[in-house]
Amino acid sequence: MQLATEPIISIRSIGKQFGAVQALDDVSFDIAPGELHAVMGENGAGKSTLMKILSGVQGDYAGELWVKGQLVRFSGTRDAEAMGISIIHQELNMVEQLTVAANIFLGREIAGWAGLKQSEMNLQARQLLSELESNISPRALVGSLRVGDQQLVEIAKALSRRAEILIMDEPTSALTETEVARLYRVIDRLRQRGVTIIYISHKMDEVFRLADRITVLRDGRFVQTLHKSDTSARQIAHLMVGRDIEPSVRHQLPAGAPVVLEVKNLSLPWPGHSRGWRLRNVSLQLHRGEVLGIAGLMGAGRTELLECLFGASSLQPQGNILIEGRQHAFTHPSQAMQSGIAMVTEDRKRLGLFLHQTVRDNITVCSLQEASQWGVVNRTQEYQAANAQIKSLHIKTAGPEAAITSLSGGNQQKCIIGRCMLTRPKILLLDDPTRGVDIGAKAELYRLMEQLAAEGVAILVTSSELPELLTVSDRIIVLSEGEVTGHFNRDEATEQKIMEAATRQLPA
Amino acid sequence: MNAQSANPFQRLWSSVEFKLILAWLLVVVLTALLDQGHTYWNNPASSAEMIIRSTVLLGFFALGSAVIIISGGIDLSSGSVIAMSATVFGTLLMFCSPEGFRSGEIPAWAVIVSIAGTLLAGAAVGTLHAWLITCVGLPPFIATLATLVGLRSFSRGLTLAVTNNKTQIDFTNEALRNTLKDVTNISIVFVIFALAVWFLMSRTVLGRHLHAMGGNEQAARLSGINTDRLKWFAYVLGSVSASMVGIIYFADSASAKPDNLGRGYELNAIAASVIGGCSLQGGVGTIPGTILGCLFLRTVIDAVNKIVGTGADVYEGMIVGIVVVLAVTFSQRIGRFQRYFFISPIGRTAIPILGLLAGVSFMLFFRTKPWYDNVYALEAGIAVIALLSLRWGLERRWQRAA
Repeated sequence: MQLATEPIISIRSIGKQFGAVQALDDVSFDIAPGELHAVMGENGAGKSTLMKILSGVQGDYAGELWVKGQLVRFSGTRDAEAMGISIIHQELNMVEQLTVAANIFLGREIAGWAGLKQSEMNLQARQLLSELESNISPRALVGSLRVGDQQLVEIAKALSRRAEILIMDEPTSALTETEVARLYRVIDRLRQRGVTIIYISHKMDEVFRLADRITVLRDGRFVQTLHKSDTSARQIAHLMVGRDIEPSVRHQLPAGAPVVLEVKNLSLPWPGHSRGWRLRNVSLQLHRGEVLGIAGLMGAGRTELLECLFGASSLQPQGNILIEGRQHAFTHPSQAMQSGIAMVTEDRKRLGLFLHQTVRDNITVCSLQEASQWGVVNRTQEYQAANAQIKSLHIKTAGPEAAITSLSGGNQQKCIIGRCMLTRPKILLLDDPTRGVDIGAKAELYRLMEQLAAEGVAILVTSSELPELLTVSDRIIVLSEGEVTGHFNRDEATEQKIMEAATRQLPA
Repeated sequence: MNAQSANPFQRLWSSVEFKLILAWLLVVVLTALLDQGHTYWNNPASSAEMIIRSTVLLGFFALGSAVIIISGGIDLSSGSVIAMSATVFGTLLMFCSPEGFRSGEIPAWAVIVSIAGTLLAGAAVGTLHAWLITCVGLPPFIATLATLVGLRSFSRGLTLAVTNNKTQIDFTNEALRNTLKDVTNISIVFVIFALAVWFLMSRTVLGRHLHAMGGNEQAARLSGINTDRLKWFAYVLGSVSASMVGIIYFADSASAKPDNLGRGYELNAIAASVIGGCSLQGGVGTIPGTILGCLFLRTVIDAVNKIVGTGADVYEGMIVGIVVVLAVTFSQRIGRFQRYFFISPIGRTAIPILGLLAGVSFMLFFRTKPWYDNVYALEAGIAVIALLSLRWGLERRWQRAA
């Protein structure tokens, strides 16, 4: 693609320091008008900080920012929006209790002398959404929409502000495959309208499909900007981590390993929903030392299945759960843990971490009883237990007493895995364990799963990324609308077959 | 968030506790200098006794409140639980030994049974809170708001019923009164209680789980922690600690007046916890901090008593309000962001309001003093406006520099 000579955004020696951490250091690169410019880098590489500066969230930095040939320094998102820059955050910023139209016009409501002009806003919202080939009702409450639709509403909101430059921060991380395909079409339309897009993603195939140019950041520094045609996924990965990533090698599962977990005809009702169930007649077997992958689109029931096994579902499931041949019906996670099950939840911040506390606290919270006598915590024992996990899982931290928030996403995830390991589980449930984790840390988590399986732990893992499941799993079962629609051994599984099963509907 | 200051000295310096001690010393010195009666110089022992007594009485249920706040809840009912406990205690004494109650010579067993019964009633209220919150599913604010209103009314009804339609239960027993009024005795009980709660919160599995639940309840549940039981414990501790205070108040004033006793105390307890560094979002806070918060709050109230003189209890609410705002404002300042107080239109409007408030308050506080003149009140108001305007000017300069 031919780049215009005059960049629409020019980043000149931008630096930003948070306390002792240099989040950005002398970063300079240009963004051409109308291009789709991907920004890649591991977590902590400085992408988010840079985007915060571009979108006006962060006004305090060193260096210069030029937009459309003007030197700017935004002191708020309104300033940035006035220059035509809008951002779609990874975690969407919407008021769930308000309607779609109200969200789109939030802060710029159309009003006359008699108050809000509701119908006018609804009309304009409908037009904007139809441009994005969506028929979401402007009167629907945002909280009732799926994540993919909510994201479209955010994009419509940006368009209603005449955004010429759109920053998208991992827009596909919570989308189903069909929603991703729709998003790609929306991006094409935006580009036809001449919108410049800055696209942040961890997903290599996505970036290579969409981007014109790719900029790689590492440790807060600019590494390189490359044309898509001049590079390869392997090279980008190399630039991101500063080394090549070894594909992990699965050990051979010993034949005749005993069955640790058996699920027979597990069903979870869904009252008030037209389908009537979240899970129906799910059966599976998990052997000692085996990694069983669970594939499925968003809403297929992956998380619900793990929650049922962990006694964390809001309704009591029907069917049989047998652990080493003994029947169980858990009503609280503590019972599941006593039976040797541990779970790493999907949403780290919301369901996993204790953000006010230290690395040590976060690791030992489940197993404090073991490090205590008469309910009094033995600090030395606790410290040793935490330290042992930090060592064996290679958690990068200043020490067990460091704040959990000072760790990167991948290392926080390892702390939660360490927490699970301290309960000495026979069965480990991992719900999308690499979500929001950078490439280097992903590879380490794969190795970790491998190591745990080799030690005899049976692992049930879900993932929203198929290549990942294909890498780590011995077997894969596929869920679609709460039912098992496919079952593949490692050597017969392909992305194609899994996708077909994941989109299959069983007759009711 | 900053990782951790490796230097233990630095950590001490930046802790809420240390700042509170400094602020407390400042208040004590200022009072010693400004108090025209020179009570601190002339009567150090009785001054100390007064402050310790009020701190200890607040401390009991403030600790209960702090545990609830740290665990992610809130208890609005402690003032009413105090009133209820005093009433129940009086009623139980009356029932255990009607003869002794009339004559004022109550046998020891009756006192012990009544104390146990009252604490049990406190535990029952706490259990009720826990039931409303965990089983019925009410937010803690609503559940304890209901008992805040309800228990006081209940106590008044109970008083009418057991006293033949009087509004208070009177009882004079010198021995009981002297035992529970003696500041050494209640201080010893308080120190034991505070040490137990501190140990519980910082050294035991239970305490760690309470912190964890306050920080992230869902994660705590998924970590296999029985959050319902923890809530029960926190609310029972909160109500039982308020019951202890109710018993002490009953013995101290030789009567239970449920229409007034402990009214508004729950907010003092919450204020002390917040001053001591507890976050109302849960998960953050310490027991020593809360105790220092109580000491600081009571010392400031006492200081104003000393400086203003008679009728100062009218201003207790104002003082608590001001101290809470200042304490939380200053502990926020540790954060990364420089806050601008007066730059926005709202901020500018606040300057004359604060000036007016300062001038009128000055008049209210000092109008009975021999040296008082309305001109001083006017000057005080103008001085506050001038000071705040100065800060406003500085803020504008900082903003331009940034």
